[in-house]
Amino acid sequence: MSFVSIRLPSAGSEVIDRARPVTFSWNGKKLKAFTGDTIASAILANGDHIFGRSMKYHRPRGVLTADFWDPNLFVQVDDEPNVRAAHRLVENGMKVTSQNVWPSLKYDVKAANGLVGRFLTAGFYYKTFMKPAKLWPAYERILARFAPGGEVDLDTPHGYYDKRYAHPDVVVAGAGPAGLAAAIAAARAGASVMLVEHEHQVGGHLLWGSDDDRAAAAGMLTDARNLGVEILTNSTVTGRYEDNWLGILQRNHHIAEERLIKARAKMLIVAGGLIERPYVFAGNDIPGVMTSGAVRRLITMYGIKPGTRAVVLTANESGDAAVADLERAGVEIAEVVDGRTGAFVRSAEGSGRGTNHRLSAVTLSDGTKIDADLLVTAVGWTAPTSLLNMSGDRPVYDPAAARFFPGKTPDNVLATGGMVGDGTHDQLVAHGAATGTLAAGRAAVVQHRLQAATARAAAVDGPEPDYPEDLRTPLGRDPHPALFRSTTHGMVDYSEDVSSKDLFGAAAEGFDSVELIKRFTTATMGPSQGKLETVNTVAVLAEARGETIAEVGTTVWRPPYAPITLGALGGRVFEPVRVSSIQSYHESKGATPILAGQWIRPEHYDDPQAEVTNTRTNVGITDVTPLGKLDLKGPDVPKLLSLLYTNKWMQLPIGGVRYGIMCAEDGVVLDDGVTARLGDEHYLMTTTSSGAGGVWNWIENWLQTEHPDWQVHVTPVTTGFTSINVAGPNSRKLMGRVVAGVDLSNEAFPYMNVRTGTVAGVDDCVMWRIGFTGELSYEIQVPAGYGLHVWEALLADGKDLGIAPFGLEAQRVMRLEKGHFIVGQDTDGLSKAPTTGMTGLLKLDKDDWTGMPEVKWALEGDYPHIVAIQPTDPNCVPEEACQILRGPESNEIVGRITSSRYSPTLNRSICLGQLSPEFAEAGTELTVLLVNGERVTAKVMKHHAHFDPEGERLRG
Amino acid sequence: MADAPVFQSPITNPTPAKGSLTLTDESELTKVSVRGAHIAVSFGTCEQRGDVLVVGSRPDEWTLLGPADAVAAVVSGLDLSGFASTTDITHSRLMIRLTGDDAARAMEKACGIDLSDAMTPNGAAVGASVAKVTCDVVRDDVVSDGREAVRSYRFLADRSFGQYFWDALRDCTAEF
Repeated sequence: MSFVSIRLPSAGSEVIDRARPVTFSWNGKKLKAFTGDTIASAILANGDHIFGRSMKYHRPRGVLTADFWDPNLFVQVDDEPNVRAAHRLVENGMKVTSQNVWPSLKYDVKAANGLVGRFLTAGFYYKTFMKPAKLWPAYERILARFAPGGEVDLDTPHGYYDKRYAHPDVVVAGAGPAGLAAAIAAARAGASVMLVEHEHQVGGHLLWGSDDDRAAAAGMLTDARNLGVEILTNSTVTGRYEDNWLGILQRNHHIAEERLIKARAKMLIVAGGLIERPYVFAGNDIPGVMTSGAVRRLITMYGIKPGTRAVVLTANESGDAAVADLERAGVEIAEVVDGRTGAFVRSAEGSGRGTNHRLSAVTLSDGTKIDADLLVTAVGWTAPTSLLNMSGDRPVYDPAAARFFPGKTPDNVLATGGMVGDGTHDQLVAHGAATGTLAAGRAAVVQHRLQAATARAAAVDGPEPDYPEDLRTPLGRDPHPALFRSTTHGMVDYSEDVSSKDLFGAAAEGFDSVELIKRFTTATMGPSQGKLETVNTVAVLAEARGETIAEVGTTVWRPPYAPITLGALGGRVFEPVRVSSIQSYHESKGATPILAGQWIRPEHYDDPQAEVTNTRTNVGITDVTPLGKLDLKGPDVPKLLSLLYTNKWMQLPIGGVRYGIMCAEDGVVLDDGVTARLGDEHYLMTTTSSGAGGVWNWIENWLQTEHPDWQVHVTPVTTGFTSINVAGPNSRKLMGRVVAGVDLSNEAFPYMNVRTGTVAGVDDCVMWRIGFTGELSYEIQVPAGYGLHVWEALLADGKDLGIAPFGLEAQRVMRLEKGHFIVGQDTDGLSKAPTTGMTGLLKLDKDDWTGMPEVKWALEGDYPHIVAIQPTDPNCVPEEACQILRGPESNEIVGRITSSRYSPTLNRSICLGQLSPEFAEAGTELTVLLVNGERVTAKVMKHHAHFDPEGERLRG
Repeated sequence: MADAPVFQSPITNPTPAKGSLTLTDESELTKVSVRGAHIAVSFGTCEQRGDVLVVGSRPDEWTLLGPADAVAAVVSGLDLSGFASTTDITHSRLMIRLTGDDAARAMEKACGIDLSDAMTPNGAAVGASVAKVTCDVVRDDVVSDGREAVRSYRFLADRSFGQYFWDALRDCTAEF
């Protein structure tokens, strides 16, 4: 029987705008439709009724539910796969193609799967391709060709996906009559309300109801708007998490492809309505078999005549109304099968090949066979309780009503509408309104408590309101026959091609739990997320096992309520980056950037080896702004420093600088740095760049929890100062040209001292005589707003002194030449303080310091040592992390290279490494295993410093 | 000898906001952190005192915002008896102001704080993550005679985030 859908004459009920035509293409054919058409209604109106092929057997599929959940209508739109054709609105120029077919929808070679369908039962893949394991790559390549879905174009540009936070008093999920009424009542009670509707229009089933229904929906929409309800259509509450943290996906925002809203709602009202269940019988996936809701939507909203001669299986009012709608649309009613009388449909047959395949006959329970191109089923409902499940609720089956109902929800989640009961329009609206009022009342209590407890909030108005109890009159439950499966087997999960026969087979194999059978057969795991399939799955399993539906129970619906695109989840990502005040200079000189944490730093300007040589020979400057800096004030700062550092701090003079190692409570090195005493009760601590935040937290933790009696104020000032290291033999001369009011002579300003003064006209600079590079050097900390000014002044005044900037790489080479270890590189998460070799700084005669007991214990035993290492071959630079072995023939690891570089100063490779103590003696010969597998020899050096071990340069 | 130093903002490219909102770079204004002083401005609120906006940024900690180059004037008159301290954080923190009727809606795109009048009224101060940058947010609406107050927020964040933070806020203004 061939069938061509036709567009019905215009009616006031439709959502399409016939004055605004749209042109699009479907599998290469140019078609016309109207604004407001879904892709599915547009294709149907042009006479096609096959949209794609099923996942496994490649059976031709047509409209089943004609809404978001329709499992048969996934298409490719331009470069976007898996678009829901019954939901996505058609647009001018859209290129729509069928997916999961090859070479075409009409002639799909993969439909051959259907011929071997009886071998492709549940678990086929698990059982068939597990062994032999070595063949899996071959299996995988072949199976990949049968993977369902559309095609992803890897060249598609990433669209703009937005995010937003919201804090509404009440979120209403679902804008049918009850949801609308709830939103209106809550808003009238003073609540801020966000109303979220899955479909493009609010109104739910009123949209395909009577004129009075649509008028009611329009009136409520106007009321909601006038009350300031924020209405989000084509949007879905995708998940409910702790304390009503809600994910809401908005698909129709004007500046973004999609927007993910993270809402913290004081109350959530779930008004998701009911989803019509398909009926399970042989041939139930033949194109032309539809739910009553599908035909009603197609006729009323889109003006589509869905068939010419229909059989209607009805067990409820929706089926009865479908009969009336079909008659109004001019469809011949061949038979009405009343499921309330015990009659049912046994099976259906199709005829026609390729895209002409269509329902041709229906066999009823009494054996009567009726010719028809349309079979409409109205056999019952599924309450989409997903959001309630996510709140902890477990739905309860009511056999009299033949559906699940919500159980017990937390106080801040309420349900209303069809999912909690049946009733007239007025009863549903009344229940919704009562729910909205209740939600607003509870939200007001939550708001009062929040406001009263929040320092910044406005003062609360009066005493806390009474917490409203739930005094709503419950909706009734209409009796409904239990119609799940006929006497034949048919599709249960259309998305996954799982039939009732598969479920019986799985049950026979021993899969007795619905959660197990779900995973074994993949029933309910497709893009419909179980909305159409779960209850039928449970019913079939119950039948197979001879149990009741209540005994089988349901699977647990978890987030998301509906699938979310990866674009929306990944979306618009904030990735903060930090730069110093000198960044514009680095960029202007073409410095190679390196990302260090969040910081963008200049790795080098040209040749880092040349930068080293110039600094050792003349003078270099480098930007070390990320170095952590903490301003410490108060009389108890020395106590704090003594507690945090392993060495002594009570006698540090004003103008003095001291180096310290900081340990965690387990004795592991946490950080290191120098601290200066700037005034009587004023200190400036430096930390490693990566440790700045952590050390600040560490200090605050000690001050706030262990020593609140200590008078210390800590202020992070890392980027308040631009830090510039001036290093090299000419550094003092250069400093003399830019510094005012400070005697820079070695006698007046020796190594490990600090001074404050004016640099290049900038007051309040801090100058340190320290030397990470091992050179005579000064670290200048300049108020950051003037950092670039001082940097440029240094460069200008140092021209004749051979000044050149150097980057992070040159600094690393020089510190390695000097043998300075880096916390986190030369140490690790197990390196206790003794490993650093600085045992002279571990003052065990102090009363206490963090980590002291563990360090004392470590000193009594063996611990790895950081040592300087030089490969025998001066041109061999072992990669960092190379293993050090017990001997040339051994594979036993006794240490590793932690830092390595080629030193232009020494013209050889140099390293630091961690070694077992027995190998740490100076002169010990080592075997280093390179990454390429080669073994080379190296030697342990006497000092950490490869260069100037006596420190004459930095003290000079 | 170099030219006289001129304050350089961390926002090197202050491209104007899009739409009806305005972004203003106020990084040059004086900012002083005060600890342990006797100031009758509660935590979580702010109060204008002459040229100085006193912000109760944390318990027992205030941030004073005043005209540029006026640290001494800003801290003058403070009761610093007992254990109290002041730290000039002008150079440590950037300050950006977002103003316009849709300022709260723009902020919703980057900040999880409840910005309703009840929870964050004019005069409120709150520590927040905005575009993944930890900052202090001060609601300081622009009030002019005879006109309705215009929503305005000041953001104080680590200086090093300057241009990133400006660009992130500007992006939030695009739809308004």
